[in-house]
Amino acid sequence: MITVENLSKTFYNKENKSKILTDINLHIKQGECVILKGISGSGKTTLLSIVAGLDKPSDGKVLIDGDPISKLPDLFASELRAKKIGMIFQHFNLFEHLSVSENVTIPLIPSGLTIKEVSKNVERALKIANIYHKRSLVSSHLSGGEKQRTAIARALVANPEIILCDEPTANLDKENSLLFIETIKELHKMSKTIVIATHDPLFEKLDFDNRIIPMVNGKIVYE
Amino acid sequence: MNEILFSNQVIIYLLSEATLFFLLFIAFIISVKILIKWDFNSFSPTQFKLEKQAYLVSTITLFVFLIKFILLIYFVFTVDSISVLVPGAMCGAGVITANEYGTVLLGLKFLLLALLIFWFYLQFYDTHTKEHLYFKHKSWVFLAIFVFVVLELFLDFQYFLNIDTHQPVSCCSALFGQLEGANPLPFGLNIPLLLTLFYLLYILVILTLNLNYKVVYIVSNLLFLYIAYYAVVYFFGTYIYQLPTHKCPFCMLQPDYFYIGYFVWGFLFIGTFIGIGDVLSSLVIGIPNLKYQKITSYFLSLFVLLCTSYVAVYWLKNGVLL
Repeated sequence: MITVENLSKTFYNKENKSKILTDINLHIKQGECVILKGISGSGKTTLLSIVAGLDKPSDGKVLIDGDPISKLPDLFASELRAKKIGMIFQHFNLFEHLSVSENVTIPLIPSGLTIKEVSKNVERALKIANIYHKRSLVSSHLSGGEKQRTAIARALVANPEIILCDEPTANLDKENSLLFIETIKELHKMSKTIVIATHDPLFEKLDFDNRIIPMVNGKIVYE
Repeated sequence: MNEILFSNQVIIYLLSEATLFFLLFIAFIISVKILIKWDFNSFSPTQFKLEKQAYLVSTITLFVFLIKFILLIYFVFTVDSISVLVPGAMCGAGVITANEYGTVLLGLKFLLLALLIFWFYLQFYDTHTKEHLYFKHKSWVFLAIFVFVVLELFLDFQYFLNIDTHQPVSCCSALFGQLEGANPLPFGLNIPLLLTLFYLLYILVILTLNLNYKVVYIVSNLLFLYIAYYAVVYFFGTYIYQLPTHKCPFCMLQPDYFYIGYFVWGFLFIGTFIGIGDVLSSLVIGIPNLKYQKITSYFLSLFVLLCTSYVAVYWLKNGVLL
C-alpha cells in the first residue's frame, strides 16, 4: 500500500543544511495501523507530509499503490490525495466560520458528485466520527474534542483508504484522546490503512493490532 | 540622448522589458542546466532539485507571458502617444516607421506572442501527463523564446534611441494612401475581390478548425491574417474613420475612435494565435483533439462581426457606401 524507499529530506538555509530525514525505508500494508513515535523534531511530520504528497523529498521515493506520489505533477498528486488519502492535523485546520457539515463537505467540492451523493457521504462521515448531532454548529463554537471529530469526519468523507494523522491528540485532554483512539479503532476495523505521527504515550498500549516505529533525529531506530 | 527616451511611457516600457529580460535570463540559465541533466525516471537529489527549478522556470514564463501580452498593448499605446514628439507623425504609423527598427520590432513582438501561446499549450499538455512527457519540447520552445527576447530587447533600445525628433516622418496618409497611384493591395487584388477573399477565408478557417483539418487550418488562418490586415487598413478602416481617404492601422487606436483599434486587432491576433498554437501543439504532440476551437472561433467571429458592423451601420445611417 505505502512504500518508502531510501527517503531523505534536507532543508537548506543560507549557509546551513539540516537533514530532517535520513534514509527512511518503510513498507505499510493495507489495513495496517502504524504509529510513528518520536519527540518533536524527530521528522515525523515531515515524513507524513511527504507520504501525503504535500512536500517533496530530497532523495528517494514514496509509492502509494505503486504510484510515485513524490514525482507526480501537482494535478495528479492532488487527485491521488483526494481519492486515497484523508488527513487529520494537530490544529484541526477547520474553517472557523463554517458549520461542521460545511467543513466536512469541502473535500467533495471538486469530486463531481451530485448534491444528493455529497449529502449522503457527509452524513455517513459525521456519524462515523460521532459528530452528527452538532452538524449545524459553527466550528468556532465547538470544543477541542468536537473540532477533532469534525476533522476526522472531513478526513473520512471521500472514503479514503489511507488516514494520516499528525499529532492528533496534542490539543486534546485525556478523555477526548481516548475517544479519538476509539474512533481510530473503528476505522482500523473498517480496514483503513492508518499512519499516526505522535509522541502521546496513550498510543503505546492500544488494544488493537498496530506497529510502533520509533523515530530519532530523522531516522527510524528499528522496524 | 533624445527626448523620446525620457518620456514617461518609454521609461516605464523599457524598464518593464528589462525586468522581464532579467527574469527570463535566470530561467534561461536554469533551463539549459535542466535540459542537460533532466531524467524524470530518476529519484536522485539532483533530479528532485531540477524538478523544483523546472517549476520556477514555468512560473517565470507564465508570468512573462501575461506581462508581455499587456506590454504589447502598452507598446502600441506608447508609440501612438509619442507621436506628438515626432514631426510629421499624427499617429503610431509615423512613429513606427521613424527608423528601420520599428516595423521589425513590431513584427517580432507578434512572433513572440505567438511563441508564448505555443509554449502555453505545451505547458498545459505537459502538466497533464504523469511523466512530464512534453517537458523537452516545452524547454526547447522556451530557449527559442529567450533568443527572440534578447533580440527584442536590443531592438527596443535601438528603436527608441534612434527616433530623431528633428527629422520629419511620413505618416499614414503617405504610407497607406495611394498617392502615387499604385495598387497597394496584395496579389493585384481590388477591393471587391479583397472582401470576397476575406469572407471566404473566414468561412474556410472556421470550417477547417471545426472539421479538424489541421494543416489546411494553419495555412488558411495565416492567409486570413494577411488578407484581414489589408481589408482593415484599406476598406473597414475607412468606415471606422468615416473618410474614404483615411487608411491607417494605427489611428483607430486613438481616443477619437473610442480605442476600437485595440479590439479590432486584439480579436484578430488573439484568435489567430490561439488557434494556430492549439493546432501546432496538437500536431507536435500527436493528439487528435483541439482544446480551444470555440475560443478561436469566437475571437475571429467577433473580429469579422466588428469590422462588418461598421460598414453596415454606415450604410443604414447614410444609405450609401464610401
